[in-house]
Amino acid sequence: MQYFVVFLTLFLAVHSQRVFTGDQVLRINAESEEHIQILQTLQKEQEMELDFWIHPVSVDLPVDIHVPSVHLQKVKIFLQEHNIPFSVMINNLQVLLEDEQAEMEKNRIKERSSKSLNFGAYHDLYTIYNWMDSLVTEYPNLVSKEHIGLTYENHAMYVLKFSTGGSSRPAIWIDAGIHAREWVSSATAVWTANKIATDYGHDSSLTSLLNKMDIYLMIVTNPDGYVYTHTSDRMWRKTRSVNPGSMCRGVDPNRNWDAGFGGPGASSNPCSDSYHGPYAHSEVEVKNVVNFIQSHGQFKSFISIHAYSQLLMYPYGYTCTNVPDQAELDSVGRSAVNALSSLYGTQYKVGNICRIIYQASGGSIDWSYDIGIKYSFAFELRDTGRYGFLLPASQIIPTASETWLALKHIMEHVRDNAY
Amino acid sequence: MCEWEPGISTQFPSTPGNQTEAAPSNLVLCLLKQGQSPVERRLTPHTPAASPSVPGQEDIQAAMPVEELDPSHYPATRAAKVAEHFINTRYGSPFAWFGSSGVKKAGLEFTLKEMTRNDMGLCSAEVLFHRADERKPPQVQCTCSGAFQVNTSAEEEDLYQRLRNATSLLSGSDIPNSVGHIDPEMAPFWHLGGVASSFIMLRESNESTLLNMAHIDNFTQMETKDAQLMFQYDILLHDMVSQEILKWKLLLSWSPDGGVKVLEAEWDPKCHKILFLHLFIIFLIYPNKTIY
Repeated sequence: MQYFVVFLTLFLAVHSQRVFTGDQVLRINAESEEHIQILQTLQKEQEMELDFWIHPVSVDLPVDIHVPSVHLQKVKIFLQEHNIPFSVMINNLQVLLEDEQAEMEKNRIKERSSKSLNFGAYHDLYTIYNWMDSLVTEYPNLVSKEHIGLTYENHAMYVLKFSTGGSSRPAIWIDAGIHAREWVSSATAVWTANKIATDYGHDSSLTSLLNKMDIYLMIVTNPDGYVYTHTSDRMWRKTRSVNPGSMCRGVDPNRNWDAGFGGPGASSNPCSDSYHGPYAHSEVEVKNVVNFIQSHGQFKSFISIHAYSQLLMYPYGYTCTNVPDQAELDSVGRSAVNALSSLYGTQYKVGNICRIIYQASGGSIDWSYDIGIKYSFAFELRDTGRYGFLLPASQIIPTASETWLALKHIMEHVRDNAY
Repeated sequence: MCEWEPGISTQFPSTPGNQTEAAPSNLVLCLLKQGQSPVERRLTPHTPAASPSVPGQEDIQAAMPVEELDPSHYPATRAAKVAEHFINTRYGSPFAWFGSSGVKKAGLEFTLKEMTRNDMGLCSAEVLFHRADERKPPQVQCTCSGAFQVNTSAEEEDLYQRLRNATSLLSGSDIPNSVGHIDPEMAPFWHLGGVASSFIMLRESNESTLLNMAHIDNFTQMETKDAQLMFQYDILLHDMVSQEILKWKLLLSWSPDGGVKVLEAEWDPKCHKILFLHLFIIFLIYPNKTIY
């Protein structure tokens, strides 16, 4: 019996450390039903130990096959003989795995450093605010923190300013966490703040951008709500203001802006999660941002980050009429989403709010567009409903990383198209 | 101020057990092609005459007006979500939970994902909403291929036997938790909750909803005398369009042979705690009063 256990342990130990040196992952774009059938025959071939990551189903879907290195040539010749186009998606699986391991180890080391936050975890308001201070301390020539007002419950509202100097430079506004339960939004913003700070001086595109423009990043736009999701109700969305005459608290801060206020897609019932409030900008959180943007006067882009649904949208929400800049915003949006998808294949839809998700009045990017901030966009991050608001922490960094590519693309376009 | 409706108890059709294609007579099958054949593209026109004969079919209209042919616009997304719920009611189990993952064509073709194994397939569907009577659930016809080649009967039997032979009743709560974590042993019950929720979400869907299960507050296994396992679930649904969180209590049964059945379902309206106290006091004084 003991020998069996020893043998089993050894067997398991050997087989748990499989190595994939030289293995490749091929992406096949079948062009006909015949190709699909050929690929399905290939699937049945036991000898070549093919590991289908995406099975052959239809010409509309890619087919991904992990091919052991020893069988690579045979498989490629087979595909070529049948005129089935393919590309090498992963050139050496072992290297990718080792890189990933190295990356994870690096992150683990970084996490242990006292200056750094674990970006792959959700944090409460206190932790985020403390970390913002440490970021400012670490990058004093780039990052500063501005207090733009108090919330209903007297929490401070802070925005991080990334600037290399100048005065009244054209600026980009990014806000996250306006809806309390959309935790991945603020988590993405934390990662993004760190990314901007660390990439400045190393990434030429970001560096040239910050040499001309300022970036303002508000990580938690609804602090009262955010705290409430930690202490009482994970599914809270709105602010925490008291509604006179009602037992229900809170106003939907993204129905409270002065853009088609009180129109379709917002509720007049204080108990509703899309309650627009008694009047536009009734919520102090919204008013603080409005005042800040208006008195700054030089914002060229306004980007609001939400979750979930995997969408990149531009105005309008309050009406389904196209904005004058529809074509340009759509084009920028599509390229941004292509960049986003290139990292992990995450699929996003692009379009105006009214057609892509729903008609909704009183939204922030409608307001910003109508006051002349042309490059107004709203993101809805991962996922599409499986986890919804409860997106696993393990997806924070992948989400933030892919979103960064889209954000960068938009910001570069703003930089290169001054108005 | 408090939208109050008496608890709604409802009977639901069940999933056929063991992936069979049996179905109640008037509902059209969602055909899942096992094996090798490519997806069928349905060319059935969106006219009432082409629909199955169901009472009140005069009020059935196509899900999408002719102008809305863009696969990225919300009518197609909502219709795909409805088809997803339908597929779950037919084929879902603790080891098979389906999600729509991208509309390819507005009229309607979408990618379907089996979420426990990340298998992908393609579906073409027709979703018909009853505009004249929104209490009637939407009707779905669909054909899918790809994601269903895996036989889960071994895992299902294993789970079923483990629960049957256990000395105590199982329960769980907070799935997923606030940071999206699920214990591996709880995962089948997360999937089961999702599948059961699809019965509700299918019934509650119309052209102005997009429903997902947001959270399982808790579930408890109940005693049964027959072969079915029985569970009480408290779940939260999320409607993307209204942004409301909807609280439902479900009583469901499951077995590998019997599939998933929702026996009872009750909507729990959103009320302030103080209101409950007021009502409690009123009930004490007037025990026979019912409030609508």
